[in-house]
Amino acid sequence: MIEFQNVTYAHEKGNGVNNLNLSINEGEFSFLIGPTGSGKTTLMRLVYFDLIPDAGTVIVNGYSSGKMSKRKIPNARRSIGMVFQDYKLLRDRNLFENTALPLHVLGFPGNEIPERVEEALELVGLEGKDAHFPDELSGGEQQRACLARAIIKEPEILLADEPTGNLDPVSSFELVRLLESIHETGTTILMASHNYNLIKGRGHPILELKEGVLRGR
Amino acid sequence: MDKFLYLVSEGMKNIWRHKMTTFTAVFSLFLALFFVGLLATAGTNTHKILHYFRAKYKIEVFFKQDVSNEEAISYIHRIKRIEGVRNATLIDKEDAVRIFKDQFGEDILDILGYNPLPVSAVVNLTRTSRDPIKVEPIIKEISAINRVEEVRYQGNLINKIERTYTRILDRFPYLAGLIIFVAVLVIYNTVKLSVYARKDLITSLQLIGASRTFVKMPFIFEGLFIGIFSAALVFPALIGSINGVNYLFMNYTSWGIKLIFDPTVLIWLFALVIIITFVGSYRAASSLLK
Repeated sequence: MIEFQNVTYAHEKGNGVNNLNLSINEGEFSFLIGPTGSGKTTLMRLVYFDLIPDAGTVIVNGYSSGKMSKRKIPNARRSIGMVFQDYKLLRDRNLFENTALPLHVLGFPGNEIPERVEEALELVGLEGKDAHFPDELSGGEQQRACLARAIIKEPEILLADEPTGNLDPVSSFELVRLLESIHETGTTILMASHNYNLIKGRGHPILELKEGVLRGR
Repeated sequence: MDKFLYLVSEGMKNIWRHKMTTFTAVFSLFLALFFVGLLATAGTNTHKILHYFRAKYKIEVFFKQDVSNEEAISYIHRIKRIEGVRNATLIDKEDAVRIFKDQFGEDILDILGYNPLPVSAVVNLTRTSRDPIKVEPIIKEISAINRVEEVRYQGNLINKIERTYTRILDRFPYLAGLIIFVAVLVIYNTVKLSVYARKDLITSLQLIGASRTFVKMPFIFEGLFIGIFSAALVFPALIGSINGVNYLFMNYTSWGIKLIFDPTVLIWLFALVIIITFVGSYRAASSLLK
């Protein structure tokens, strides 16, 4: 499902990842942990082909970075859902429009969209807030909205890059629980965090990154 | 089809979502198109003003004293055949006495007891020639008639008007090109700024897996709608301005000039705005796509 083969990527100003080898199987829930600057975001960006490795190969859902062209990247991303620390919700659209966006991209018929949006918002506990704009929601709600947008297209892989970074401990805990319930439907999840207390003892593999190198699993 | 309709509706919604940006873009486009339209109208009407001046050109031909009216008529026929001559009118000796009386208030026959005024002719030049009129060859040809005593004409004035017209004609394409170029730059940059203002939307769409075409289309539709709005404002503004100028010409001048608005200008302006907004939004959106 996600495979890194001797992957190296260096940013211009340093950091990155160095000679990474890892494999995440279908339906697995893995945590990625490491301090700021350890390469967690770089690893995530390599998974959704926002970065192409300097050396080695990333294979995600059969798409290989070695054979990846700009035209193929959107196709590769369609089976990946993403949740970001800064939410990346569109401020000028309400919750319904934000959540429905991936369905429009995938060309879903217009009459199916409202029902799917309602289901996704209900799943993340935001039912009845579809007319709200992002600025009218709390941080926790915005993050759940971001999650609704990520899961509405029923992705095979869900990437969550520091999704609890801007949340209080209660909201963080609820979000991880939510991710676990999504995982139960068979979605492969990779969640990056620097908060070890949040992820320890949950029974999921933990990948530890330090200075761009995978320390252990 | 649903996808296409969504992209069109997104283009329209973006206009509403970004009202200020849209207003700025529509206003800039309106101004640019209005000036291009005025220039085009001026171009199509330049000849009218020239025709007005050319109608005032007058060559006076005085025949020798002993030339009779009948003889003068045959020379007038000859003059009419000269290239560049529109018309020649005979002023016989009796007419000359009447004109003298009109101008000086005295009857020359009473003063002198005989009519010393020769037969003459007033020659008018072609008005509608696209090329500048060269008056000297016409004068030369008239003067070559051995029974012509004198030829009087406004040589300097005619040459000055014709030279000015030639200058305008020569520089017009450059001026038009410059104004269109500035208009294109204004429109392109306006659209580009509008696209740049929504960089976050482009990033989000890309992360979701939208194709490059999907990302670009709403911007292109938005650009086209802005272009259509601007054109819809420019058309009545242009027609109104030209009607206003015509009203002033008709009521406050004796020129008798009526500007004509060529409807093809509207088609050209519409085509121009569609091309510019399409290219502008396409290129602006493309430049933000990695």
